[in-house]
Amino acid sequence: MADAARQPRIDVRAYTEVEKVEGFVGNFKVTLREKAKYVIADRCNGCGDCAQACPIEVPNSFEMDLAPRKAIYIPMSQSVPLIYSIDLDACIHCYKCVEACGALEAIDFSQEDKLVEEDIGAIIVATGFSHFDPSVMEEYGYGRFPNVITSMEMERLNNSAGPTAGDLIRPSDHKNPQKLAFINCVGSRDKRYNPSCSNFCCMYSIKNAVLLKQMDPEVDITIYYIDIRTPSKGYEEFYNRAREMGIHFTQGRPSLITEDPETHNLFVHSEDIGLGHVIEKEYDMVMLNIAAIPQPDQDHMSSVLNVAQSPGGWFMEYHPKLRPMDSPTDGVFFAGACQGPKDIPASVAQGSAASSRAGRILHSEEWEIEPTVAVVWPDRCSATTKGRACGLCAKACPYGAINILSPETPAEVITAKCHGCGGCVAECPDNAITQLHFTDAQILAQMRAVLASKPEEKIIAFRCHWCSYGGADLAGTSHFEYTANERGLRVMCSARLDTDFIFEAFRLGAGAVLYSGCHPQDCHYITGQLLGAKRAKRLEKIFSRMDMTEGRFRIAWISAAEGDKYARVLNEMQTVLDNIPPEELKAEIDRLKPEMSKRLKRFPGVPDVSEAMEYSDALTKVINELKEAA
Amino acid sequence: MRHPSTTQTFADKVKAIPGGEHLELCYSCGTCVSKCMIQQKLEPDFNPRRLLRMVMMDMKEEAFTGPTTWMCSECDLCYEACPQEIHISGVITAVKKIAAEHGRKTILKTAVVDQQTCVGCGLCVESCPYEAIKLVQEKVPYRGHVQVAQVDPSLCMACGLCSAVCRSTSIGVPDEFTDKELMEDLWSWLQPQEVLT
Repeated sequence: MADAARQPRIDVRAYTEVEKVEGFVGNFKVTLREKAKYVIADRCNGCGDCAQACPIEVPNSFEMDLAPRKAIYIPMSQSVPLIYSIDLDACIHCYKCVEACGALEAIDFSQEDKLVEEDIGAIIVATGFSHFDPSVMEEYGYGRFPNVITSMEMERLNNSAGPTAGDLIRPSDHKNPQKLAFINCVGSRDKRYNPSCSNFCCMYSIKNAVLLKQMDPEVDITIYYIDIRTPSKGYEEFYNRAREMGIHFTQGRPSLITEDPETHNLFVHSEDIGLGHVIEKEYDMVMLNIAAIPQPDQDHMSSVLNVAQSPGGWFMEYHPKLRPMDSPTDGVFFAGACQGPKDIPASVAQGSAASSRAGRILHSEEWEIEPTVAVVWPDRCSATTKGRACGLCAKACPYGAINILSPETPAEVITAKCHGCGGCVAECPDNAITQLHFTDAQILAQMRAVLASKPEEKIIAFRCHWCSYGGADLAGTSHFEYTANERGLRVMCSARLDTDFIFEAFRLGAGAVLYSGCHPQDCHYITGQLLGAKRAKRLEKIFSRMDMTEGRFRIAWISAAEGDKYARVLNEMQTVLDNIPPEELKAEIDRLKPEMSKRLKRFPGVPDVSEAMEYSDALTKVINELKEAA
Repeated sequence: MRHPSTTQTFADKVKAIPGGEHLELCYSCGTCVSKCMIQQKLEPDFNPRRLLRMVMMDMKEEAFTGPTTWMCSECDLCYEACPQEIHISGVITAVKKIAAEHGRKTILKTAVVDQQTCVGCGLCVESCPYEAIKLVQEKVPYRGHVQVAQVDPSLCMACGLCSAVCRSTSIGVPDEFTDKELMEDLWSWLQPQEVLT
């Protein structure tokens, strides 16, 4: 950290919060709140005289409240930059620090928070993780029994720079514990708190056990675990070394810790899975290996940075395997545990990857994006035709890429921000936006070609590019058999699926239509799937009111790993079609045709492909004109 | 393509019964076992974790003959503690139902109805927490066709609640916990004790 601070081109802003992020890749405008330290940074030399003079002591949160700090303090001894700050909540305004500072005159109680705006090219988020509070798990008695401590407290007690100078003592009587139990998975792999695995705790408890055993070979350590997970290079060898050192590993998750009120020794009740019966053992001290959880303000940061969150609350990466350091928003990258719990090697690797990704942006004049962006035809926008922009497109956009500067000006797409989900295109009631490479005309032409002959036998499957299309692909490569009547049509996101496409498919006499996309948490366009799902639900209601046979319109969220599900859904749809007698199906299709054409909004009179193509040509012309004008 | 298997495993059967659905989420941490009061106070071989494994491993015979299937009192201490939120007593009840279908009977003593005195009022049916009692029309010697209570021995847990509510002392767990035996115990305690000299 000190190295980074010495670099002339690295500017460390400690005690500063990100207030607002505007703009797009390469052109972010970031508002920072530089919080008042009440100490003038340029004058403070970090001598610490002020802290010595300060009469107030409060718990030191860096030491897990095991040691005190003064009201004027540095967070830890290696702080960079080494500048003191005053905790005004604790300060009694005795001004002894001002006296102690003397001629430096570094203390300034009149300081206030400062808002600074900076031009930023790329953002790397490295906000880390927080830890689970085990006091909610009453069975382990954390907070009630003094000798039950968390792994973070153990880390400070065990640290030579910690409050006890590395001498591990029991909080109750300050003696060195001789029998210790470590309990893994406290709050993790637990559906009541965090269902996921916290990744690094197994190695971490083994590390602490080995450290303690090295300091005192007499100490008796038992690690209670559900499964020991040592998947990386050298980890299993380290685990074996710990076993050879005489550290006991007991498979079994303790259900209860009780305390002897006189000696404050602890009894751990668990089943020993290896033995197959319940054991109860006495220990001097118990360490709870607590779960890693997202930062408490992770939700707030995700809305500031406009990045999505995975189901556990961590920041969501662009792709879990191929682009784990990229966020779905161009120019924002992740490093370390803010994206998911990970150990030091993985954090370092991700940090380096994120910085080189960011460097690529800073070094390039131009930035390439996917060509499937949305384009507005200003003449058709309701701002032009009706004098008032409806704003539906801006509301639909998950990236905030559509600007409506005033009600009278047509919507504008910030191309650099657009990711091409097509949500705005489907939402626009005036047909004023289209998505390049996925224009209405292109999709309609595909649909008509597919339904040209024997449409009542066909099942049209709309699939999103990232998940359902992958699922269909997997069904094929895995040789899962499914109905040959399926005809797949690809869109980038289920948000692109205009209600008109479905109505048109049924109007053309399609036997069944599948509306498929990602699972809500997997969507590559942050909230695109939600938009699509809402629309699909609405369609479902409309069709049930029309008295359409149940199952002819089907909604299914299928991930790229669910080839079997894709095949199953398609086969189920085929069964639905097989169960309707052909003449009844034909009668139903004919009955619903007028209903369908009534509901088509986009193309009054429903044009033929040639007319739709004309529209497309006209649109291309407008786009080219716009390009030339720019 | 692999075809879905037509044979139903033991686990499939258990999962099909309400309460047994989440069986396969168990990762064998043993929390339920060390929480269980029956395991600690009554029967050391009582082991819900092992029963869940037996179901998953298709070990029907072992599951039906072991004490775990029959002795669970559904106190649900384990349900509260289970990190995978498996309703373990639900799984055990499901196994018990399958065992009963196979004609197995509980290893516990169960309540017995005295058909001669039973009036078929149905108080015991309402009181039974395990829904083990129902009213049936039966031909009883000397009484003809009458409505009497009938205990399903595969469901009865011998708690004795029926015995306590019965107005005609016609139902109870014989040999230990009938009204008569309990009263005799009580009287023996109330007798003046011989003072040891």
